Amino acid sequence: MDDGVVAAFVFVGPVGDAGWTWAHDQGRRHAEDATGATTLFVENVPEVAEDFRAVVVDFIENEGADVIFGTSFGYMDPMEELAGEYPNVVFEHASGFKMNDTNFGNFFGRMYQPRYLSGMAAGAMTEADQIGYVAAFPIPEVLRGINAFTLGAQRVNPDVEVHVTWTFTWFDPAIEGDSAAALIEAGADVIAMHQDSTAPGLAAQEAGARWVSYNSDMSAFAPDAFITAPVWNWGPYYARIIEAVGAGTYSPGAYWGGMDDEIVALAPLAADVPADVSAEIDEVAAQLIDGSWDVFTGEIRDQDGNVVVADGETMEDGAMLGMTFFVEGVVGSATP
Amino acid sequence: MIRIVWRPFQALAGNRPVLARRENVVPATQAVAFLLGIVVALILGVILLWTSGHSPAEVYERMFDSAFMGTDSLSRTLERATPLALTGLSVAVAGSMGLWNIGAEGQMMAGAIVATGVAMMADGLSGPLLIALMMVSGIVGGMVLMLGPALARSHLRVSEIITTLMLVYVAIRVVEWLETGPWKDPESFGFAVIEPVPEQAALPGLFGRANIGVLIALGLLLVFWLAVSRTAWGYELRLAGSSPDTARYAGVSLRRKVLTALLLSGGIAGLAGAVQLTGSAVRLESGLSNGYGFAGIIVAALALMRPSGVAVVAFVFGAVQVGGQSIQTLGVSSAISDILQAMILFGALVAVVFFNYRVRWTGPGGGSSSADPAEPDPVEPDPVEPGPVEPDPVEPDPVEGAA
Repeated sequence: MDDGVVAAFVFVGPVGDAGWTWAHDQGRRHAEDATGATTLFVENVPEVAEDFRAVVVDFIENEGADVIFGTSFGYMDPMEELAGEYPNVVFEHASGFKMNDTNFGNFFGRMYQPRYLSGMAAGAMTEADQIGYVAAFPIPEVLRGINAFTLGAQRVNPDVEVHVTWTFTWFDPAIEGDSAAALIEAGADVIAMHQDSTAPGLAAQEAGARWVSYNSDMSAFAPDAFITAPVWNWGPYYARIIEAVGAGTYSPGAYWGGMDDEIVALAPLAADVPADVSAEIDEVAAQLIDGSWDVFTGEIRDQDGNVVVADGETMEDGAMLGMTFFVEGVVGSATP
Repeated sequence: MIRIVWRPFQALAGNRPVLARRENVVPATQAVAFLLGIVVALILGVILLWTSGHSPAEVYERMFDSAFMGTDSLSRTLERATPLALTGLSVAVAGSMGLWNIGAEGQMMAGAIVATGVAMMADGLSGPLLIALMMVSGIVGGMVLMLGPALARSHLRVSEIITTLMLVYVAIRVVEWLETGPWKDPESFGFAVIEPVPEQAALPGLFGRANIGVLIALGLLLVFWLAVSRTAWGYELRLAGSSPDTARYAGVSLRRKVLTALLLSGGIAGLAGAVQLTGSAVRLESGLSNGYGFAGIIVAALALMRPSGVAVVAFVFGAVQVGGQSIQTLGVSSAISDILQAMILFGALVAVVFFNYRVRWTGPGGGSSSADPAEPDPVEPDPVEPGPVEPDPVEPDPVEGAA
């Protein structure tokens, strides 16, 4: 058992969700092909200590796992404990903030970058100048995404408003679909979202509206509505970690990669996105990739008109990670 | 007595099947029925596993090993059995007088909320004192959430099934509000989490993952087993459930009994929340109750609303959950695992029901003494509907014993 690394993945949702967990599972498959490691996974593991622990302990004790990837925020506390109990196993946690010096790291991606680009496409496609955003939970990650999306939409369409409703869900097709329908009823003709289901897209297609999906290219689910999507591409990161574990060179970090590292990307645009907008999106994407410009570059004002990023300045990572406000042009409360 | 009205039969033959309680069921046979149901389900499960491409022997071996073999496995089963026993008892206490507490899930959360709040205010206290205080706060929290449904039931005859269920979602939303708002941990870099419970409030461990929550649950089950089956109070409770008119005639205050049973039920579920918070969890989170409250309904039903049965059923249920989780690391999908777990519980339930009830066919004119089945009355005239489970006729009369 010396040669082959066994990498085990703990997923919060079903691999068939077409969203968050599906994207992680694609990453797992990619890493398996790229490294030759054995990969295992369990899906639908609730974010509670006893469920997560049970799965991980089985992976380690019975299947000989060398590295555990936990792909949901709620796994953080039990993962920290387990990292202490199993010092010879590597633990990597997506979307959290805890780590240690030896065998526990965290990773995430600068999803706000492709979200900005998707906002540009959405801003060009709305005729009502009103976009509905089906938001998940009022946490910095989601606020950052809404703000980046709005700034992108405003770049091509200064009059645009982004109307936000909160579902307090990550995967609940019924609520998410209803929220999208309600936003359309209230005047939006483009829907964006932060959850893992395809329901907002189905609602948009039914109402003749357009849709920016999330996590993965969901164009097959609502082809008439689909514009584009900011998507995850976890495979290369998983492969790097598995290789480091195999080579004995792993050291934990707090990884937050951007479009330059290909962990986040923009899905292909719909055919009817105007050519000039499409060209501008490519231009901005190139700037994001070469690092000459980033999304939260001033001047940026919050909903009350206060300047939050001064002209010419760029927001620090710390401020982005702790973002609690909405930018001007967002309609809705950041603290519902 | 459960009356199942099956209209196609009525239309065809004018007859309908009625479940009638068997007399003289020997208590020991309950366990036999329970095991028999599980064995039948496991045999049927072989087909499920074969058709989904898994080796039944390997899967069952892993299930058994992960739940029972060795102290670590046993401790995992006990860790799950603890909240299941408490929520099962919660549902059973209400059920022993024919009331349905569907909202133990929410009362768990309410208990955990109040316990967390108290821990925030009193985190300077020593461990044992703080734990005791948090347990009491948990009970209070569960009772507070139950107060509305209990009063509405006892005084206005509003169905507690609806009100307790609806409050589940209220309680979960309150936790989400606390997470993102007033109780957000300032040291969490903007993430919406509540600060961890003080370290000294962690329930002392017994072995492996099992903690003294196991003893709390066992102690409480013993107390309620004695109270329900061996005291005049318990007899009145069961009498009020099975035959309210008789109880009223005997001078029992139905209102007070309904109120007491429901508040106790809520309090026990609240305690389950506090035990979960200090035993397994690190902090209050919206997923803390983890379905244990709803599972408690199944536990209580399988235990025929008897505290003595709850302990056994909760242990088996915990083992099924641990085993079901564990086989997924073998590559069994979560859907197949869920079906298998459901089959085992359903098998046990069917067997227990048919050991305790028999099917009797009644024609339109005879047999049943109930009202016209063609027109089921949507509004029950009694303040307390008789539950599916009546007091066991073979049990010694506790009133005589107490007198």
